Amino acid sequence: MKVKTMQSEEISIPREALSVLEQIESRKTRYNRNLIIAFAVLAVLMATTLIVLGLDFKFMLKWLPFVLAGSGYTFLVAFLAISLACFLAIIGALGRLSKNPVVNSIATSYVSLIRGTPLLVQVYMWYLALPQIGKALEGYGFTGIQAVFTLPAVPAGILALGVCYGAYMTETVRAGIQSIKIGQTEAAKALGMTSTQTMKRIIFPQALRVIIPPVSNEFIAMIKDSSLVSLMGVWELSYRAIKVGRRHFQSLEMLILVALIYWVMCILLQFVQEKIEKHMARGDRRI
Amino acid sequence: MEDLTPMVKITNIHKVYGKNLHVLRGIDLNVNKGETVVILGASGSGKSTLLRCINFLEEPTAGTVEVDNIVVTAGGTDKLRENRILDIRKRTGMCFQAFNLFPHMTALENIIEGPTTVLGQEKKHAVQYAKELLEWVGLTEKRDEYPSCLSGGQQQRVAIARSLAMKPTVMLFDEPTSALDPELVGEVVEVMERLAKEGMTIIAVTHELHFARDVADRVLIMDQGNWIEEGPPGKIFNNPEKERTRQFLAHIL
Repeated sequence: MKVKTMQSEEISIPREALSVLEQIESRKTRYNRNLIIAFAVLAVLMATTLIVLGLDFKFMLKWLPFVLAGSGYTFLVAFLAISLACFLAIIGALGRLSKNPVVNSIATSYVSLIRGTPLLVQVYMWYLALPQIGKALEGYGFTGIQAVFTLPAVPAGILALGVCYGAYMTETVRAGIQSIKIGQTEAAKALGMTSTQTMKRIIFPQALRVIIPPVSNEFIAMIKDSSLVSLMGVWELSYRAIKVGRRHFQSLEMLILVALIYWVMCILLQFVQEKIEKHMARGDRRI
Repeated sequence: MEDLTPMVKITNIHKVYGKNLHVLRGIDLNVNKGETVVILGASGSGKSTLLRCINFLEEPTAGTVEVDNIVVTAGGTDKLRENRILDIRKRTGMCFQAFNLFPHMTALENIIEGPTTVLGQEKKHAVQYAKELLEWVGLTEKRDEYPSCLSGGQQQRVAIARSLAMKPTVMLFDEPTSALDPELVGEVVEVMERLAKEGMTIIAVTHELHFARDVADRVLIMDQGNWIEEGPPGKIFNNPEKERTRQFLAHIL
């Protein structure tokens, strides 16, 4: 390795420097090796614990297909709910940033109310309390509205999760939009863009980069919170596992099984998240 | 040299922040077609604010701005006025101290963004012109690079090309070289100089003395929101009338 100086005479890198570089390199290699060992040890420990506990693996394997059949509902609920949440979050964020007092107050109240109440209460609200509201409305002459307000379990669950996560994500999206420097807006305006064009073409695409990691986080959290729809008797993952476990007095096996299924699902999602982030990072300084 | 068609006409512009921060105090400025005007002044004197009032990035508190026969008066929020402001912006290009390129777009995409989104041009057409502009600023080989991979000087040249893609009638430069390393200033000034020679109407806030002295047709000195002196660069730099001008020039020369 040679470096040219201004006088263009060649000076080789001193030997001490080379040995320092080697040290840094070997430190990295050692760290990577030890990390793999640590993970492996942890995995072995976990497996041993499961064996020591005397788990009935045959039982688990036997009921695996039955429990897995519930993953369809889990994905359906989580996917539709996150779609609804994203939609609400964008509307909510624009509302929170709006200078229109009506729009702003609605968006602010939405976030405050939903974030300030437990999701469990909200789920029951959509499922059990909404029909009652329908009934009250019928009393005021809206005939037939109670039937509309009486939701089946799955739609009620999707609405509850979507509306709830939409409120949290509203704040994520708002923060993402506000994190873009004012100079970007000014440059867009100086070109003659309208506010809508500026938001759509310049601000939002950049904000998306900031938003993706927390939104993926929300999605992963939602996969697990979708188990709340089991409260309404939907045959999704955790509901099936708990049912089987109780009937055969082998709750430990079934709970561990369903926990592992959730874990694998989340690992897969994390993988997807990393892919998306890498794609969004184009335009960043590559080091 | 330049004809005497007025291109920018600013009348009695005031800018007040809050209730008592009086940044611009009744500024008048007329710039003719093809003229290059440089505004000098100590920091905080209001020169950037004035520039930003021309394309309404800053709302003047009082006064009238006229660009290319489009007249907008301070105050009011009606739709018609909004549209006139958009029209003014379409006809004025602006370059910022911090470049403000769109980081999620390549150099080429930055340049075609205005024509395609604002003017509704066909992409093919816009790309064709963008290539010509990239060549004009000497960055043909950087067309597919993202701003983060360009030096400050290159970024500012792309930013100039981005403004020119809108075929503006006036170019506003807001300290375009202040954020650059000294050895990169030259390449940006060279582009500005060529622009001036090709007959663009230019209003520049800059401390770049070569540009002020050799390229500008007129130099104006601002202090505390008012003009204190104006004239051809030869007179301003060699034989200023006002004591305040002399003091200021002593600082920057």
